[in-house]
Amino acid sequence: MNSTPYAPAAPRPTGSPLQRIGWHLQNNPKRELWIAFFTMIVFYNLYGIIFFGVARVQPPPDPNWDVATIAQWFDDHRTGLLGGFAVTFIAVGMTVASNALIAYSMFRMSVSRAFAYAYIALYSLSAIPGLLLTCIALTVGAMRPERDPEQLAWLYDFAFMAFDGTMGVFLIGSLIWMLAIFLDKNRVFPRWFGYLNLCNALTEVVVAPAWLFTDRAFAWEGAITWWINMVVFIIYTGAFITLLRNMILREDFGTGPLPALEKAGHG
Amino acid sequence: MTHQTDGELILLWTVPALLLIWASAFVLFPGFVQPMSPTLSAEEVAAFYRDPDNLPRIRYSMIVFNWFCVGLIPVLALVMMQMRRMAHRTPIFSYCLLGCATGGPTLFLVANLFWLLAAFRPDRDPELIQMFNDLAWVTFTGQVGFLVGQSAFLALAIYLDRQERPVFSTWVAHFNVVIALALMPAAFFALSLEGALAWDGSLSFWLKNSAVALWIAVMGLVLGQNIYRQRRAAALAA
Repeated sequence: MNSTPYAPAAPRPTGSPLQRIGWHLQNNPKRELWIAFFTMIVFYNLYGIIFFGVARVQPPPDPNWDVATIAQWFDDHRTGLLGGFAVTFIAVGMTVASNALIAYSMFRMSVSRAFAYAYIALYSLSAIPGLLLTCIALTVGAMRPERDPEQLAWLYDFAFMAFDGTMGVFLIGSLIWMLAIFLDKNRVFPRWFGYLNLCNALTEVVVAPAWLFTDRAFAWEGAITWWINMVVFIIYTGAFITLLRNMILREDFGTGPLPALEKAGHG
Repeated sequence: MTHQTDGELILLWTVPALLLIWASAFVLFPGFVQPMSPTLSAEEVAAFYRDPDNLPRIRYSMIVFNWFCVGLIPVLALVMMQMRRMAHRTPIFSYCLLGCATGGPTLFLVANLFWLLAAFRPDRDPELIQMFNDLAWVTFTGQVGFLVGQSAFLALAIYLDRQERPVFSTWVAHFNVVIALALMPAAFFALSLEGALAWDGSLSFWLKNSAVALWIAVMGLVLGQNIYRQRRAAALAA
């Protein structure tokens, strides 16, 4: 057993927020989990601000517009698209913390590690078609105002259908998490959240008609395809953020020495 | 607790081979040595792909990148194995690294597909060739998030590795912070078609790509040191 320089009896500080953060980074035995947790919080906040406020691509524009209107939309949104997605291109690296923390929750459950690994693989993959291709296509559209409007219209379809129409990774990912929760005997997550995972998985089924219809409720900005999805997504995300926080609070690493470290390579 | 280390040396020695292959493909692609300007007109972009001197070099270099751009993933898995030896209470940083390892190289592969598509039928409408060329450069230049994340999480993991002989020295963490910062400006390349931020500019092209090359070289060296030290210690213990 290696002992650690970690000081179990260090008193909690009462100074400025920065001092308190510094203390936790030094002394909190759960610091690795909290770092992942707050990285996830920062990412979802940035994502909301950028997609709804800066680039203004959510709620999505109309799939039924003619090419001239689409070209006009790119003109009106240029600065927000280019600036907002520049930040997204960096911030996407933070998504791995959220995936890692969710995978960690599954490692705590009484199920095979295959569930957690499957989740990491699925959700690492999901960011590329489900988020980045959207930002890439809209950046390409916005960067050249003189581009042929027909091509702008193609990039517009590409962007919004990549965003809405990337379904399988979220479908299977949510089902994996759901199954782990239902099978788990350690009660890491409550059963109702398993059902909420099922709701999230079903939104990926509900969104499929966006590939078939360009107007009304099933279009990519429709009442069913977009609005119901977004409501479920917000409830789901809010719920898992709270539950992950509770999971970290409940974790008991104690304040003792770290688990035995591998001797090889230390002599 | 010991883990199996057989085969790690082979994976480690792919680093110099990869660097050599990447450098050769980099020099072979005519759009890199003198990076293509984003201000070229559609006609000029089409002429670049149609030039009989360029076309085979574009195709062959991109085929080589297609083969080897994901070649770094096994090396990143080695970095992950080193992270598992750190004095952490959870394996969470190594999961973060795994996520970054799948994202970064895959995006390079997507950019590569767009370049190959642009070169696939150079007699296509110049506007379309320009669009594929734009998609390639936007994907290649701006997608630094997973690379930044990789360096940032690695740096954090090293800072929090509190033991008598940490797996990596603290300077490796500082180095990763510097690399993460050097990669960031490239994300803003689309705000300007000229100057340092443009995709052919000093920040978005030269600084970013030098940072990537330096990261691979330096991390290859410190990784090698660790792996050899581990093997010596294991041989002594046996």
